[in-house]
Amino acid sequence: MNPTISLTLTVNGERQALQVEPFETLLTTLRERLRLTAAKRGCNQGVCGACSVLVGGEPARACLSLTANCVDSAITTVEGLSTPLALSPLQAAMVSSGAIQCGFCTPGMLVTLTALLQRCPRPSRDDIRVAVSSNLCRCTGYQKIVDAVIATIERSSV
Amino acid sequence: MSIIHTSVGHSVERLDAAEKASGEAHYVDDLYRPGMLHGIVLGSIHAHARIRGYKLDAARAIPGVAAILTGEDFSCARTGAFCKDEVPLARGKTIYMGEPVAAVAACDIDTARRAANAIEIDYEPLPAVLTIDQALAAGAPLVHEDLSNYVKIAPSFSEGNVLWQCRLEEGKIDSAWSQCDVIVEDEFETAAQHHMYMEPCGALAEIDRGGRVTIWSSCQSVHLVQQRTAEWLSVPMSRIRALAPKIGGGFGAKGGLHVQHLAAALALKTGRPVKMVLSRVEDFEIVRSRHPARIFMKTGAKKDGTLLAREARILLDGGAYADESPTVLSFAVLMARGPYRIAHLRSRGLVVYTNKLKASAFRGFGNPQVTFAGESQIDRIAEVLGIHPVELRLRNAVDAGDRWAGGQTLHACGLRECLTKLHNVVEAAPPLPATAQHRRGIGYSAFAHISGLLSTACNIYLRSDGSLAVNTGVVDIGQGSDTILTQICADALMLTPERVSFAEPDSDSSPWNWKTAASRVTYMAGRVVLAASIEVRDKILHQAAEIMECSAEDVEVRPGGLVGLKGIAGKTVTFGQVASHALARFGGPIMGSSSLLFDGERLDPKRSLLEGFAFGNLGAYIFGAQAVEVDVDDVTGAVRVLRVWSAHDVGRAINPKMVEGQIQGGFVQGLGYALTEEMQWDESGRLTNPTLMDYKVPTALDAPLEINPLIIEHPEPSGPFGAKGVGEPGLIGAAASIANAVAKATGKRMHRLPMTPERVLDALIGEA
Amino acid sequence: MLHRPKSLAEAIEILAGDADAKPLAGGASLVAMLNARLVEPTALVSLICIEELGGTERCADGTLRIGAMTRHREVAEMPALTDTHVLLRQAAAAIANPTIRAMGTIGGSIALNDPGADYAPALVALSAKVGIAAASHTRTLAAADYFVDWYTTALEPGELVTAIHLPPVAPGVGIYHKLARVAGDFAIVSVAMTIRFDGQVRAAIGGCGPRPLSLEEANTELTRGNVEAAGVLLAAAADPVDDSRASANYRRRVIPRMLARAFAQASAKQLAA
Repeated sequence: MNPTISLTLTVNGERQALQVEPFETLLTTLRERLRLTAAKRGCNQGVCGACSVLVGGEPARACLSLTANCVDSAITTVEGLSTPLALSPLQAAMVSSGAIQCGFCTPGMLVTLTALLQRCPRPSRDDIRVAVSSNLCRCTGYQKIVDAVIATIERSSV
Repeated sequence: MSIIHTSVGHSVERLDAAEKASGEAHYVDDLYRPGMLHGIVLGSIHAHARIRGYKLDAARAIPGVAAILTGEDFSCARTGAFCKDEVPLARGKTIYMGEPVAAVAACDIDTARRAANAIEIDYEPLPAVLTIDQALAAGAPLVHEDLSNYVKIAPSFSEGNVLWQCRLEEGKIDSAWSQCDVIVEDEFETAAQHHMYMEPCGALAEIDRGGRVTIWSSCQSVHLVQQRTAEWLSVPMSRIRALAPKIGGGFGAKGGLHVQHLAAALALKTGRPVKMVLSRVEDFEIVRSRHPARIFMKTGAKKDGTLLAREARILLDGGAYADESPTVLSFAVLMARGPYRIAHLRSRGLVVYTNKLKASAFRGFGNPQVTFAGESQIDRIAEVLGIHPVELRLRNAVDAGDRWAGGQTLHACGLRECLTKLHNVVEAAPPLPATAQHRRGIGYSAFAHISGLLSTACNIYLRSDGSLAVNTGVVDIGQGSDTILTQICADALMLTPERVSFAEPDSDSSPWNWKTAASRVTYMAGRVVLAASIEVRDKILHQAAEIMECSAEDVEVRPGGLVGLKGIAGKTVTFGQVASHALARFGGPIMGSSSLLFDGERLDPKRSLLEGFAFGNLGAYIFGAQAVEVDVDDVTGAVRVLRVWSAHDVGRAINPKMVEGQIQGGFVQGLGYALTEEMQWDESGRLTNPTLMDYKVPTALDAPLEINPLIIEHPEPSGPFGAKGVGEPGLIGAAASIANAVAKATGKRMHRLPMTPERVLDALIGEA
Repeated sequence: MLHRPKSLAEAIEILAGDADAKPLAGGASLVAMLNARLVEPTALVSLICIEELGGTERCADGTLRIGAMTRHREVAEMPALTDTHVLLRQAAAAIANPTIRAMGTIGGSIALNDPGADYAPALVALSAKVGIAAASHTRTLAAADYFVDWYTTALEPGELVTAIHLPPVAPGVGIYHKLARVAGDFAIVSVAMTIRFDGQVRAAIGGCGPRPLSLEEANTELTRGNVEAAGVLLAAAADPVDDSRASANYRRRVIPRMLARAFAQASAKQLAA
């Protein structure tokens, strides 16, 4: 076993005391130490986006973030976007729009799109496509994912 | 008695969508078992080499290493679906670079990797064959020296590096050419595509004290995992239990084993659970790819547009192991005619071994390659004759009652409607503003595929509260089959889907289903779900009649789980009451059970010359037509797809949004195949682009602005509610539509995939 | 071990003391290389807490200093980048995708010098300077001299990129064109070009060799309006390789074509303005 350091991380609003390796990535910490497995390991190179989380409210690749470097920022994972009884409006729209097939890209997509809507509450279809380009999907062809964001915006203005 | 459809035809929400949205869905890498070890594979460093020996001591000595396996640790005979040429780990010889030669289990992945790197293997490199031409050359090194002694399940004319050959002829092709007014001849070349599902392959194996192994794995069939793992471990199937967590896409690659047997073998050796999940690089290197192909095609027509003759010679590069190459080849040969009434046909092909990753099942299964070739030629003929590409296709399109090459009857065929509706929609679409130095064009393709194959079964039982439990063994790999099959059962019994539960596939308790592949689940599993549901329904009616003291003909099912007397409102019993009655009267729950081996016509040797086919019959035929608008950059040759319209005859859309999702997703995967995706090997046989940095799949900005699915429904008589499949067709015509659109935009015909900017620029202005 | 110094001096001291320590900016490239085990540093020095490396300011002499830790997204949206400097915004906006643009930094990107990256040709075309600090000195280096070879810069051991310095902005037009296989990929060929209102044109080509390609003779021809001649010069001087994105042949072929298009569009913008 490699040597570890102690640190405290704020994840989904909770302070977590952890032992991590110095160069451990946030993805490894979330999945293996905290068992928050929504962030997925799709490539471990930062290309696919399946590992996306929010660090300090900004979208980040957990596989490219060193845990020890994230101690000053609040981290939000997909598990923090919903409550046990209710999905966020964006999550619900993904469900009702048919935007989820195998679901492996879905957590990362949700993080990216949540960040988009926080920054830009009424993005155009083009803005949405640019945001979605942060994450790869092999099942849906992206169309219904874009539809889901549009549905979220439309429902929120009702 | 008619069935009133309630959820069939409606875009009911996926059963698992909410848990996937919340992040609670678990895929194999999300699973943890107490005491779990981590496994890793060591890949060979030569494309072709004898393995003279192993030195494992240094690796074994690393603290935390629990077990190491090599090919010598497996005693099974070679296995394989059609040609038994495979071994669990390379044994005596390695025949592609990256091939698993050892597996290690250790306390963590870093330790496992260090141990793998400390294994010394004594290789004696051998000359390798890396292309079709090299494989076929006289005196070529042999990938499988013992090929003639391998067991094959069908006669195949294997020799040298030729694994399989296949031929289909109809009519009198040699004399047909002289009757043609126009003949086009082309050679096409396509590349190896990787499935690039988002979830890398992985397995978690755990044994119990009795020595039984439970394997969770990312797979397309729990039954095949159980069967083939048992074969490779040389244990009875009763010692293996295969389960499927959520699956992050498969597209054909996960229909056979990847690392399940290695995780299981390491678990057996260590007594501890072992999780083995491939890195993306490893996944590129050791799973499967699509067959690169070279296709010589020749098509002849009369000047009125009647297609008379087609000849195709198909060469597939199958890589190092046979796997499903024989069926991919057979299917390519069968589909090379295209969805047209062409009386004279000679379609032949062969698949060779090369010292590369094995090519095998991948969405489309040989059809994308031949469709690229055939549909390109249809457009060439349309061009020469001055006939509109849609019109030419309509003049020759197959229709219901026609026969496919080989003789299978098309019981339903919506191809003409697909083409006509498609054309109308495209013509009505407002044009997009032009851009300087860019050319625009719209191209069409038409295609057929099959939905079916092999066997499947279903058990359903009625619970004491009148709800239903469906068990099929079908693995939902993301396409939504759980939901579709639930809808089918629910409608058969006039229940809402919430009253039907769908069992997770478990090789211990689920009845056999071949696998999720071949666009077959809605059609095949749907048929047995419907049949079993009807059996349950009939038993319910029989029992209800007993309760109501009348005859079974006098009662009928009513929505909401009720049985009532025909013509009399109000007097009903509930399914729950019937269930209790059955338990009390007969001691057992009401159950329905159905199994099906695809029962359509077989290929007819009296009609066609058939040689080397790896299947005798297939499935229901499905049809589609696609139109694509491209933008070609004059300056760079870059092709962008702007808009897509894709019409598919699905018989009946059980869940329209899901059908659309298959069409849209299939197209974008096909767009990658057409424009950007190519696995590349260097002269040493090394795969040079096994990462997402180097192998590029379409992002949301590369996908078209719109993909407009058009659902056409010509009910398939044998299908559940008339439905048949749509998993593959979205992809099948993509390369052809795009190539035809590029030709329309530029006047240049592309013969090679992917159509990179370089290849397009070469076509536009000549090669440098 | 991961160091998180609060000052530039502290960071430099740690780097000076350990030859195998590497500075960590956004992590977009370095952590990917760590994960792939392409680098195995003994220590990492995170720059994330160092205020001196952030920020953007207009200096008294009109130059614009952009801190090394400025994220791509900030550069892409930076209002201070006007006229010819819009080129830098376009180059930043062409990097990868929004998430990577939120993570990656200009300093980190140029410290790596991936030949397909977007800043390098833009900085050369803009005659930017790279600010560098070490334990014993600070210096600035012209961008053209800073990018040396494949993944190699002029940084000496112990040196750190601290900022990008853009010369006072010249009124005019800046344009960045990029050809890639898919959105967000590294460039096959990119063209960074500025056309000043006084007519001077500067261009640099990316993706076609170990460093950005810019020739005084080609700039002279472009300034005279001889786009074809400039294209011939640049294509002849280019030193591209075959890689998974494209062949060397194709790159050489496309350079003059993309150059001509960039020139036409930039000229049209300049006339319109």
